Amino acid sequence: MLHTQLPWWIGGPVLGLCVVAMRWLMNERLGVVGAFTNVIDTVAEHRPSFGPFGFMLFGIIGGGALFAVLAGGPDFHGYGWLTDAFDSTALIVGILFVSGVLIGLGAKIAGGCTAGNGLSGNAMASPASMVATATFFATGIVVTLLTAALF
Amino acid sequence: MSTKIAGLIIGIVFGVTLSWSGMTSPEVIREGLMFQSTYLFFFFGAAMLTAMGGLFVLKRKAPRALLTGEKVQWETIKPERRHVLGSLLFGIGWGLSDACPGPIATQLGQGIWWGIPTTVGLVTGIVVFRRMQARAAADPERARAPSSVIPSRTAADATA
Repeated sequence: MLHTQLPWWIGGPVLGLCVVAMRWLMNERLGVVGAFTNVIDTVAEHRPSFGPFGFMLFGIIGGGALFAVLAGGPDFHGYGWLTDAFDSTALIVGILFVSGVLIGLGAKIAGGCTAGNGLSGNAMASPASMVATATFFATGIVVTLLTAALF
Repeated sequence: MSTKIAGLIIGIVFGVTLSWSGMTSPEVIREGLMFQSTYLFFFFGAAMLTAMGGLFVLKRKAPRALLTGEKVQWETIKPERRHVLGSLLFGIGWGLSDACPGPIATQLGQGIWWGIPTTVGLVTGIVVFRRMQARAAADPERARAPSSVIPSRTAADATA
């Protein structure tokens, strides 16, 4: 059952309710780059404990693990277009690392990722988040179509 | 309940939902960005509209946050150069890897090792940003320049 994709009209609203819960419980904007940042800052600055965002990241990782256990392992073969287009594992690892840097640095500069700007920021009717969301969707679509045409 | 436990529970719900929706799989995100499937857009749209409706109700009906007692309020800002530039970089990484921070975390949780190089990159990107912030803070004139795309630590952490 877990290997059947959850209908969007269930999965989407549940994700939206997570945004509402963060606001209702602690007046915070849900964002996953913020969660990674809290873990990094806590370690780098030798703070005594992780904050709610750090714990949220542990929850997301744990949620992925819980899903994999309940579903009897991840439903995953290869890595999308990258393993279709390239044979070299080292090259794919390199592309994923560079992508990660762009995602982390870009999201910090833009003040949010697909969750922080895309879900939470737009829900807050933030004009900056709307511009950010339009930009990363447009860029993501162009990059995807370009790689599909080239490889 | 502490805010940490609350964060953990919200994270688990978020992680299971992302996984169950297939967002951990780069194929699902790629099919969306290539317009081969409508799932990504409906999923994202439904999440955003639900959050928007919920926040709308909160703003009117819930003056105080349940756990912290803080006033439920937020500020928004006008678009700046950094929102476009940063999202451009983000969009390139997203389009290449078909993963964003949430799915990267669920890949790790599901034991998909392809998530490791992406995570190492993501952490590197955030650390590089913190270094750039520290350098900008040491040189306030440059940080205040209208062309600066590195928001100060408080501004970056407090606003959408």
